[in-house]
Amino acid sequence: MEILEKIVESVMNGDVEKCEKFVKEALQQGIDPMEIVKEGLSKAMNIIGEKFQRLEIFLPDMILAADAVVAGIEIVKPKLKTKNDWKGEEGKVVLGTIQGDVHDIGKNIVKIMLETSDFEVFDLGRDVPVDRFIEKAEEVGADIIGMSALMTTTMVYMPVLIKKLKEMGIKNKYQVMVGGAPVLPEWADQIGAEGYGEDAMAAVGVAKRLMEDRKKKEIRHD
Amino acid sequence: MINFWDMIERSETGEILEEAKFDRRLSVKAKELVKKYEIKFHPEELIPSDDSLVDRVFQAGLELFLDLGIFCVDTRRLIKFNKEEVMEVLRKAPSKLKFGQGRDEAMMEYRGIEDQKEPFCGFTPVGNPVPEELFEKVVMSYAQEPMADSFSGPLITSLHGLSIKSGTPIEVEAAIWNAMKLREAARMAGRPGLGCHNFVSNAEKTDAIIAASRKDFGLLDGDGLLVAAIAELKVDYERLKKVAFLRHTEFSIGGLYGPLMGGYAGGPEGTAIVLLAHHFLGVLVFQADWHVSFPLHIHHVCNTTREMIWLLSIVGQALSRNTHLLKMANGFTAAGPCTEMVIYELVAYAIASTISGSDMDPAAVARNRHLEHCSGMEARIAAEAGHLVARMGLKRDKANTIVKKIISKYESQMEAAPIGKRFSECYDLGKLKPTQEYSELYERAKEELTSMGLDYSYL
Repeated sequence: MEILEKIVESVMNGDVEKCEKFVKEALQQGIDPMEIVKEGLSKAMNIIGEKFQRLEIFLPDMILAADAVVAGIEIVKPKLKTKNDWKGEEGKVVLGTIQGDVHDIGKNIVKIMLETSDFEVFDLGRDVPVDRFIEKAEEVGADIIGMSALMTTTMVYMPVLIKKLKEMGIKNKYQVMVGGAPVLPEWADQIGAEGYGEDAMAAVGVAKRLMEDRKKKEIRHD
Repeated sequence: MINFWDMIERSETGEILEEAKFDRRLSVKAKELVKKYEIKFHPEELIPSDDSLVDRVFQAGLELFLDLGIFCVDTRRLIKFNKEEVMEVLRKAPSKLKFGQGRDEAMMEYRGIEDQKEPFCGFTPVGNPVPEELFEKVVMSYAQEPMADSFSGPLITSLHGLSIKSGTPIEVEAAIWNAMKLREAARMAGRPGLGCHNFVSNAEKTDAIIAASRKDFGLLDGDGLLVAAIAELKVDYERLKKVAFLRHTEFSIGGLYGPLMGGYAGGPEGTAIVLLAHHFLGVLVFQADWHVSFPLHIHHVCNTTREMIWLLSIVGQALSRNTHLLKMANGFTAAGPCTEMVIYELVAYAIASTISGSDMDPAAVARNRHLEHCSGMEARIAAEAGHLVARMGLKRDKANTIVKKIISKYESQMEAAPIGKRFSECYDLGKLKPTQEYSELYERAKEELTSMGLDYSYL
């Protein structure tokens, strides 16, 4: 079996040790580090995501696979040509479950999918105050602020955050994506969120589209 | 018997653990127990008749609970109990509970598998959002139904033109408004003494709940409040504060549990074990008098797929055979009002619940997220099917045959289920009755369901 296929298999089995071993072997064989990422680690995670979508596997399997991917990336990272080759190549996302809301399974799945798709994720956890999102986004120079909510009494904090960004004159620095059980696409539009994910698995596609939009608008932090 | 103070003390002294590690422990343990107890979902055995399998689910749920404990989010500690404590509290749990008063009084009583006692039906739109001006009419559409043994309301998202935000003064106002309007709606529906099983659904924070918990706002003795576990097997101080308050009142406590199938617990088998274990959390941590299950499919956000119907049935049966707990199943459908699909989903859920010994709490429809997509008609459809199961003396094998036929009518549409019509589109708002279109749709479905073996002449 080709070494890249072995990496894919080890990720799909959630086997951290084997994944680390095969990534090291691939590097020793002189395979380009970026190819290891794209054709090994990322490829496996995409397959895992599709299987989860069909419920052929469940969340614990996906978490284990993500652990293997992260372990593999840690080994590859020093060998990449520039520090931005992997970590955060796609963009930086400040993520959290909005103020007053303690339900975070959906947000946790979004985190896994983004992290294993080359986004750098700053997970603020659950019940995150509006101001905390903004402070963190400013601190790390985020591209995207992602919020989730499970309740109608908490999703109403999403427009509060967007309004505050506008009042502070910094809305154009960030793309905002929202999701969660009570959040509908028309509501996301109405509050001025640029991105909406029907479910956690849709988040990567949405985030990538937002990053493309950003590039078109040439939004830069530096 | 373990008391409130013991439980709180354990939340402050139990093992310290990272939350992610708790999630993983749960995943690993659930998987291990599925194997150890040989629990297997079979897509053709949706209403299992194998009592040994049913009892193994109970044993696995108990072992998981004893091994894992409950995670307290605020203290980052485990609250654990031993087997004797669990069994004692189960023995002493109520097996009957009165809701309401006067001619609207209704008794929730323990039901067993294939019980011919009609199910207690708590009519509810669950958390469906509706406009403030329609709230009362929507509630009346549920409360006026003759099979409603208790009721609760939908949500409003704004009051006096302001968004209802968690933790704000508006939330307190909304909770009080909620309690008042529910009783007003019951009176207007001609059911002044109808018990309310969840007297506030507009608010989450404990201060708002306490503010609304007054009889002069319309609450009756025995009215209930649902206290929801954070899935899976977690609690926090916000929930424990509600318990601390409610245990001193004349209101009843309902434990609410909604683990995600496909989430941390794994597939249907692991989720069944975890859902069952939540009932121990309910009696020990929430001091719940009654229990509501709403397991959800992680992608479809409903509990009417094959796996979810099995899950509702097996957990209901496991609790019926091994406890005398008062337990309701809360139906969540993918399709919405005034669609053929929602009728079949509701009936499948009703059969699976009542045959397995559960009472019913129908229903959240259209995945519980589309504005004003709910009506009393959906609760009626489920309640009538549940009553039929009892009146016909249906047995599990026959119920299984019927449920499979019903599911085959809608399962291919699960992904793109129709959200149906708004309340104001499928009800005559003057007479407060389902439109002719909705009534005829139901009549046609009843003929079809009768041909499948659910005999509507028993109604």
